[in-house]
Amino acid sequence: MIEIKNLAKKFAVENPKKLSEQEKKDPRLKGRFFHSVLDVSFKVNQGEVLGLLGPNGAGKTTTLRMLSTALQPDQGSVDINNVNVLKNPLLARQKIGFLSGSTGLYGRLTGRENIEYFGQLHGMSKSGIESRISELSTMLEMESFLDRRSETFSTGMKQKTSIARAVVHNPEVVILDEPTTGLDIMATQTVLDFIRSLKKSKVPVIFSTHHLGEVEELCDRVTVIDKGISQFDGSLQEFKNQAQDGNLHGAFLATIQQGEL
Amino acid sequence: MWLVFLKEIKELVRDKKTLFFMIAVPILVMPAFAGVAIYFAHSAATEAQNKVLNYALVGGQYAPNIDTEMLKTEGFARVEIEQDADYKELIKSQTVDFILEIPANYSNDILQSGQALIKLHLNDSGLNRVFNRVNDIVDAQVKLLRQTAFSQLSLSEDQQIALLKPIILEKVNTADTRENWGEKIGGLIPYFIFILCLQGAMFPAADLGAGEKERGTLETLLISPIERYKLVLGKFLTIAFAGLTSALITVTSLALWGLILSQGMAIEFVVAFMSSIGSVDFILMFLMLVPVVAIFASILLSLSIYAKSYKEAQSYMGTLMMLLFVPIFLAMAPGVELKGVWAWVPLTNVALAIKELIKGTMDYFQLIAIFGSTALIATGLLAFCIYWFNKEKVLFR
Repeated sequence: MIEIKNLAKKFAVENPKKLSEQEKKDPRLKGRFFHSVLDVSFKVNQGEVLGLLGPNGAGKTTTLRMLSTALQPDQGSVDINNVNVLKNPLLARQKIGFLSGSTGLYGRLTGRENIEYFGQLHGMSKSGIESRISELSTMLEMESFLDRRSETFSTGMKQKTSIARAVVHNPEVVILDEPTTGLDIMATQTVLDFIRSLKKSKVPVIFSTHHLGEVEELCDRVTVIDKGISQFDGSLQEFKNQAQDGNLHGAFLATIQQGEL
Repeated sequence: MWLVFLKEIKELVRDKKTLFFMIAVPILVMPAFAGVAIYFAHSAATEAQNKVLNYALVGGQYAPNIDTEMLKTEGFARVEIEQDADYKELIKSQTVDFILEIPANYSNDILQSGQALIKLHLNDSGLNRVFNRVNDIVDAQVKLLRQTAFSQLSLSEDQQIALLKPIILEKVNTADTRENWGEKIGGLIPYFIFILCLQGAMFPAADLGAGEKERGTLETLLISPIERYKLVLGKFLTIAFAGLTSALITVTSLALWGLILSQGMAIEFVVAFMSSIGSVDFILMFLMLVPVVAIFASILLSLSIYAKSYKEAQSYMGTLMMLLFVPIFLAMAPGVELKGVWAWVPLTNVALAIKELIKGTMDYFQLIAIFGSTALIATGLLAFCIYWFNKEKVLFR
């Protein structure tokens, strides 16, 4: 179970003069600080998939980075299976599998070596890593390229390897930041199937996306963030009800418009 | 920490660019450049020695001996010129290589004629052996004329020697060969080693900090269940290892190729000089490099992790390299010795200490103090690097 309460994070603006006119008008810019996340709360139970939606710059990635312990929140709390992420970041990291939106691989290592390295960092045994890689490579259809240097990989191969790397240690929760961005249809399907398999294994998943079709297909819950605030948090059906015709696109726009009022 | 170190080393040895600069350049490229330079210098010197020199002799009638010798000697070709010819123009137009002008007071009886001034007109700006080759002929005549004069004066051999050099000032050097050459070249050695250490560490440093950001691997690494300081130490060790290895490979390669390429006297000198430095001093020199490399590695990693991209990291490192020239140049400045305030200037003191070790005049207690202070600075910089690595505004700029 993942529970986030009243998360907030601000960043010092290095050079306010360099901000665009639109950025200068953002209400989150206060003095020399940009309040990327003002108040975000949501909860994901075992076996649930939560879709994190929001326009670009809404604060989704900052929220996920705080969840993953990469960033320290200024306010609020994050609990993962009763572990306080802020107080026990090292313990929390063992429970989290995180795929960042801008993830990359070590190009001079093979796909297998990339995954192995992170397994070792998680303190896994050699045999444990080997069997997990075997399992993941079958699930994500990676056998054909696993032992090639990752600098030769296509976008899809890279993303599959990154996902395998993120979950090599059998995490208790999985956080995926736009995992299907830039992927072709086949690779997207493999990633979505993988999320489905996580759901079956009762692993809670949070994934941010701009593809509402993926939300419809996979999500049990939806959270919409805009201007650093969670504007909606509820079940998929409750989210659909935001629009008169039950259309996700309409529901999304209606939620954003309500937030602006 | 070792896990990070081993992974970074694995990546490092698979990087063609790093391998090229760390191994191929010092082992092959630099000695190849040196070899080519030596080859061309040697060829040019041989050519200058064997070249047939066109010359004109003015006033040859006053020195028939010289005239005859020059005609007899191989490698000289006589050219006749007008009496009022413009010497400079003749040389410029390459009609002649030189003109030898014998004065009218030249005589075989020097006791009567006194000293004669023979002028050698030539363009001496380029590589040539004209003076030496002409001087060989003139010198033979000088000996002959001197001998004749001494015979006329009925001087004994001892008297002749005393007349030629009435007083000899003999220099009795208390410095041995090692100290002598150590003073001359000892300042250059730390300069080269420092630069090589820095250069060897720069590529991996840029890759291990800014490279992680650019590839998008940093964030994944940061959320691994490993303490930040262990991450930093793993990366720091890799950079320091690369710097030291690069310097060792380069120095070993230069020494070996130097021995191979140098000839005759040079071999004897190099071997004698190198063998005069004890193995303990070599080990101490290497030990002194350890905190220096640690300083470089800490600064480079801090700069690299601050940079947003590989390119930005390299621009910071270029500036750092220029700044580092200052303490190293100070150590080579005349009058700067390992005394007083200079013993406390970071890096300058290590460079001076290495010079003293090469000379064999190092005070080992002072060496401990220098090692300690340098190690302290390195520890401080490493602590800063760890602190730096924990700053969100640095990691997520």
